Amino acid sequence: MSDELKSDLPQPSDAGPTASRSVVPIWIIVLTLLLLFLGAVYFDHHSGWFDKQVYAPYTSADELASYQPKSGAASMLTHGKAVYETYCGLCHGSDGLGKPGQAPPLAGSEWVAKDITSLARIPLAGLNGPIQVQGRDWNLSMAPMGASLSDADLSAVLTCIRESWGNKNGAVSVDEMKAARAAISGNAPSPADLAKMTPVERGHVVFQKYGCFQCHGQDAKGGVANPNAKTAEQVPSLIYVADGYTKDELKSFIMRGERTIPVLHPDQPPPPHFMPSWGNVISTNELSDLADYLFSLKPKGDNLGF
Amino acid sequence: MTTITKFTTLFLGVAALTLTAGLARAEDQLDAETKARVDRFEKGPATIDVSKYPDGIKDNYEVFSTKCTQCHKLSRPINCDYALPDEWSRYVKRMMRKPGSGIDSADGKKIYEFLTYDSSVRKKAMLDDKLAKLTSDEKAAAEAKIKEVHDKYDNK
Repeated sequence: MSDELKSDLPQPSDAGPTASRSVVPIWIIVLTLLLLFLGAVYFDHHSGWFDKQVYAPYTSADELASYQPKSGAASMLTHGKAVYETYCGLCHGSDGLGKPGQAPPLAGSEWVAKDITSLARIPLAGLNGPIQVQGRDWNLSMAPMGASLSDADLSAVLTCIRESWGNKNGAVSVDEMKAARAAISGNAPSPADLAKMTPVERGHVVFQKYGCFQCHGQDAKGGVANPNAKTAEQVPSLIYVADGYTKDELKSFIMRGERTIPVLHPDQPPPPHFMPSWGNVISTNELSDLADYLFSLKPKGDNLGF
Repeated sequence: MTTITKFTTLFLGVAALTLTAGLARAEDQLDAETKARVDRFEKGPATIDVSKYPDGIKDNYEVFSTKCTQCHKLSRPINCDYALPDEWSRYVKRMMRKPGSGIDSADGKKIYEFLTYDSSVRKKAMLDDKLAKLTSDEKAAAEAKIKEVHDKYDNK
């Protein structure tokens, strides 16, 4: 009995299994690519490009839009309103009345009634520091919310702001927006101007050019809020960097950045602002000028005695 | 026509993602270098035996160990590769200038004096090594700063 059982068992072979590697068969790669392609085509035909407003039988947002009324000014206002809600409404309010401590009102604001270039400068370049709106003082910081928007989007949103909530300041055409953008960017110094400047002056231009002031404040004096940052919930001022860094240390810090900002309360969301790494963005000469500028900021006669 | 445009968009998207991931990785590596350096320091001893130091320096050690542990482990400065007075002066000022550091200039000076004193004793070899690499003027200036701290606290 036991002999019979034994004979049924597979006999151990001399040549055991061995590990080896083989190339992924080409047909698997081709099949995967084909499936990916078919999947993409299927989504293109059926997904409405994942637009939350598109349901069968409609297949695209464009198709839906084609059913909307098409008068020029009205559609610009509709589009502008949509852009406004995405980029401006959170702080300035859907009613354009602004929010205390966050943003001044746009309804009835004398800044909205100004020329188009002055108005366009605000979303394009941001706005920092004291400003008076309808007789009230505001001292806040607004990022260049519109810098990434197209002329079409910006002209629509400015039209919306100038023609809503009782404002009657007239529409902004795409061409006017284009001209305003050109006028604003034309303010940057020319290479000839730059060559005449001292390194410190050039460094200040660099500080403005890359928007350092958005977080570190005008003239790098700090004060911009960064909730839950260990640094007293604000982005640090830079006026004392000459105390704490050599120029080389400072330059390498700017190039490296600091992605993870230490938090005050570990159970709360991380601070919204962090120091981007500028190594791939800023040129060597600009970096050197920037360091000279930042070193020049240290208040005179401020000596700690060590 | 639409299909092709969107499919191209999809591929461009994937390419952009790959590129972003690559860049992020490069950044991570830069961060990783600093992090590895800090980790190495933090693995070392977390206290200094100050029993043989002068009383004033012992007091300053107290300031050092209370103030600096608000934000990081004490083992980081204890085991780091700073030893020269200028290095400590910069490092202490960099920390005290952070908003909310709670280190005033008097505390900052005490911490600087402690670290300079401690480096001249506990990190003597590293300090001598660094001094030897300076120009003669820099070396004289650094030695004067170390002497200033020793004169202030020794035999008192």
